[in-house]
Formats: sequence, C-alpha cells, structure tokens
Amino acid sequence: MKFGLFFEISIPRPWTAEKERTVYNNCLEQVKLADELGFEHVWAVEHHFLEEYSHCSAPELFLTACAVLTRRIRVGHGIVVCVPEFNHPIKIAERTATLDLLSAGRLEVGTGRSATWTELGGFCANPDTTKKSWDEFVRCLPKMWMQETFSYQGEFWSMPERTILPKPYQKPHPPMWVAVTSPGTEIDAADRGLGSLGLSFAGFGEQEKKIAEYRRRIKSCEPVGAFVNEQVATTNFLFCHEDEKTGIEMGQKLGNTFNYLATQLISTREVYSSPSYQSLGLLPALRRAATGPDAGEQQTEGMAYGDPARIVRAVKKWESLGVDCINFILNANEVIPQDQVMASLRLFAREVMPHFARKPADAAAAE
Amino acid sequence: MPLYGTLDITRSPAGLPTLANLDTEAWALPKAETMQLLIEVPRVTTDRLLPKAMHPALPSYVGLAVTKYSDSPVGPFNLAMLRLGSRAGAHPRGFLLGAVASTEAAARELRARWGFPVESGEVKFLRRHDRVMGTVKKDGRIILDCALVDPQPVSGTDVQYINWVTAANAPLDGKTQPMLIQVDPKYTFYKAERGKPLIGTFDAAAWKAPDLKLAEPIVGTCCTVDTDLPRIRFVMDPLKPVFQGTRRIRESRAED
Repeated sequence: MKFGLFFEISIPRPWTAEKERTVYNNCLEQVKLADELGFEHVWAVEHHFLEEYSHCSAPELFLTACAVLTRRIRVGHGIVVCVPEFNHPIKIAERTATLDLLSAGRLEVGTGRSATWTELGGFCANPDTTKKSWDEFVRCLPKMWMQETFSYQGEFWSMPERTILPKPYQKPHPPMWVAVTSPGTEIDAADRGLGSLGLSFAGFGEQEKKIAEYRRRIKSCEPVGAFVNEQVATTNFLFCHEDEKTGIEMGQKLGNTFNYLATQLISTREVYSSPSYQSLGLLPALRRAATGPDAGEQQTEGMAYGDPARIVRAVKKWESLGVDCINFILNANEVIPQDQVMASLRLFAREVMPHFARKPADAAAAE
Repeated sequence: MPLYGTLDITRSPAGLPTLANLDTEAWALPKAETMQLLIEVPRVTTDRLLPKAMHPALPSYVGLAVTKYSDSPVGPFNLAMLRLGSRAGAHPRGFLLGAVASTEAAARELRARWGFPVESGEVKFLRRHDRVMGTVKKDGRIILDCALVDPQPVSGTDVQYINWVTAANAPLDGKTQPMLIQVDPKYTFYKAERGKPLIGTFDAAAWKAPDLKLAEPIVGTCCTVDTDLPRIRFVMDPLKPVFQGTRRIRESRAED
C-alpha cells in the first residue's frame, strides 16, 4: 500500500491575498513534511472557478514548487483537463515534460475531462464531446513525449510535423492515469492501460466491484502508452489523533466541510442534458453524506480518521479490496488548524505506515 | 462557507401566497409537455432574490419553464414559471420567483395548495417543426416570448429536473408564518428533446425579479412526461441555513 496527499487547495471566504498565500504555503509545508515522512505521492487537481472548494487552477506551478522543495515524493497531476478549450495538447506535453525534468523523473500524469458546468461553461466547452477529446488527447500524449517529431490530424486538434520539446526525464514516459468518478470510467482506464485514479468516496462494496472489473479488463487492454500502468488509487480524508473520539470528530468536520462545498458545484448533468454526462459523478454520495458543515452524521465507510488503530483497520480493508494507493485530503476551507494537520501526518507516519511498509524484495521472495 | 441569499421573506409576508394547511392532496399530471430553458444570469442581479436560508448556484442561472398540462384536477391549463437555480443545503433547487397560469382555477389552486406565486394570464405553448415556443401575456402585455430552437431527440435519462422551493405563509405549530416549501415532482419520460434557448421578450419586473438580466444561454429541453404535484413533505425556516431549519411534515410524497 502506498500513501499520497491529494490537494484541492480549498480557501475560505473572505479571500485576501494573504489568506490565499497562507493556504498555498500551508500545503507546501505539508508536502515537504510528507516527503520526509515517506509518503509516495502528492497530487494536485486542476479546477477553475470553484469558489472555496478549489483554488488550484494552475497545478503545474504548484507541483513544480512541490518538486523543488522535496527529494523523493512523486508529483502528480490529478488531473489535467483534456478538453481543448482548457488545455492545448502541445502545451500539456511540454509542461509535463518540463515538470518531469525539474522533478528528476517524479511526475505522474492524471487525465480527465471536468465534471462541472461551472468549469465547462466557463471555458465555453461543449459537454457532449469531452469524453471524445479526452480519448484523443491520451492517445496523442505518449507519442508527443516519445517521438522525435510528431504530426497529427484529429477531430479536436491538429498539428503539422514539429519536434515537441523538451522530452520527459522518465523513459519511455511518465505513468498515466485517468480520474475515475463516473461509473464506467474504470473500464475506460483499464481498456487503455491507464491507472485508475479514484476520486470518489464510494463505500467498500461499490469500490470492490469497480476494482475487480478494472483488474479483469486491463489484462486484455491495448495501452495508449508504451506500458500498462495497472494501479488503483482511491481518495480518502485523513485525520489521525491519539484520541479516537477527537480523531473522528475532526475527521468528520473535515469530511462534512469538503462534501458540503463540493455539493455547491453545478454538475454538468444538473443544467446540461447530455448523454456524455448521465452520471452525477461523485456528487450523489457527497450529498448523502453532506447533511451540513456541522453534521456529525453518516459518512461513507472506510474513512481514515480516528486513532491509529482505527485507521489501520480502514486501510487494511482497502488493501484487501485491491487498492494500491490511498491519497489523502488533509483539509477543506482550513477547518483543521495547520499545526493539527502536521501532527496528524506525523502520527500517521509513525503509527500507521509501518503496518503497510513494503517488504524488501529478498524477504518477500523468501516467503 | 458558501454564500447565502439576502432575501428576508418575513419582512413582507403579506405579499406571499397563504396556505390554509400543509395537507394538500397530490395532483397527477399525465402527459404534460414541458419546455425548460436554462440561462446564466449575473450574480449581482440575483442576490436579493434568494432567501437567506439558501445558497446561490455558482454560476447563477435561471430556468424559464412553459408547460402544457392537458389533464389535471382543474382541467387543462398551461403554466409558465421562472425559477432561480440555487442550493438548499447540499441539494440543487429552483427557487420559484414568479409564475403565470392560463386559467383562474389553476392559479388559485396552485397558490392555495403549494404556495406558488402564481397569477393568471395568457400562456401559450406552441410546437412548430423547427422550434417549441412559449408566450406569456399579462394584462395584455407580452412578458415572455421564448423558444427552444432546433430540438433534437435525446434520452429522458439525459435530462435532470431539479426540485423546486417556494415561499409562502402556512400554519405550523399553531401559527401561520412565512416559510419555504419544497415541491418535488416526479417525472416519467415519454419523449425528450434538447435545443438552443432563444429569448425574444423577457420582462423581468413582471416576473417579480426587476433586476434580473438574462446573460448566457445554457441549454433548453422539451419533454413529454407524466408528472405530478406531490404532497408537501418538507418546509424550511426562511432565515436559518436549510441544514438547520428543515422540518419534515410527512414521510411520503404520495397520497397516504
């Protein structure tokens, strides 16, 4: 089991320059500590216009800062929006290659298509075609990274032959993932040999079915890149405290706040009737869970908050379902003071991570 | 925390519809044809239209709906509504700003049973080969002239209609008082089309939203549905955040 951090960069009103800077600095401080503690990944979303919920519209810059401040931790786009109005594919190839160089080969590239009208409408993008443009982008990116020269004639973009520079540090190219929120996207991931970057908070039963289907399908995939990235990651909330009750209370506060903010977003399906967005993505589960920011009630099972023993049990359950990596959301709207976030990370690393330490290769082979 | 509306409906309760009770029976409304046009609007024009208990949608948008009910307990009627996209706690809702019904009986019953801010007027729902049109006249003046242009078939499963909230006076705990009422119709789709919204005339003041400015069109739908107006299940304190001020009136939306 690997552990990572997952940043939306949620900033409460009233917004001041100092507050936005402070939250960004808090996130960087968390990443630096996570690197020292042995976390494997830091992921940053690409979201636009999502007030309070996510002010992370330029993740490549945030991740570059993460890379510069750290030595080991891998930096991940969770995700790059593969819709031409948001990002030109040439720029994606160039930016990601540059970040891979600057991080000395520590880049993971998550891909996706955006799920909210707030964002798609803001960029005047057509919701009907985002799945198709995503498919086109993910098939082009590995070639743009690997081929000396590249030309392309497609439905959503085209270019004459040019040399796209620089090339990534990792050879043949960085691992690729796709964000999985809507039902069925895990199949899209598997069929293309992409990692499944789960961004929903579904319970054990639903996740088990998705993972099983992903594992089954990926065996016969035709990878879009040079290799198959068979990995399943899920997202979770983390608040680890010596006292179980305190840990649960704070964790629920974090989860409720995140869920409540998320449900304020306008899902594409809410306003734009399209066969491309038949699912509400992660919102139904969040609405069930988000009775309000002060609610202490129902939240999805398997959350990583409480005391270390409780969190170990939750993580072991995820591990038994076939999850390879859990990425943790540490804060939302700064409801957890920074010193407590840092203490939670330290306690998790000290008391929980050793239960999931990977065995040395020779020891594992001897078993 | 998310923004809240600034409208205090308790300041002018006399302007709200008044219900004799919260116990209306449900209405079945089979084979209704409903056109809904969604349009983004500047946030500054909507802040004062939304009750303090609710959050604005981000971005702000309104839904203009013109519906032909060919069968109802008060006979056939057409209904036009203006709803403001919003959130009741975590849930998307359309807050009813204004409505016009094509018959006196429908207007009277909708006000008295569910608290719709509805007046009577002339409401036309017309289907042409290349468009579906809605026209609303009040006091001889056109206050809405709109269309869904170039309708193309989609699946009913592609369409989502959100529930409504209306502001009204109603008796609760022995006292008639202003409150928010949730209205949550069900839909069974027979046919669904999608097209581009086109607005010819929109008289914002006549829809009780004088500052409202229509901006970017989102999408329009026209559907044939079996629908209903159900029994009232939830009412909300107009001044408290919805997640703190919601009361369940009854368990079921059906006749029971």
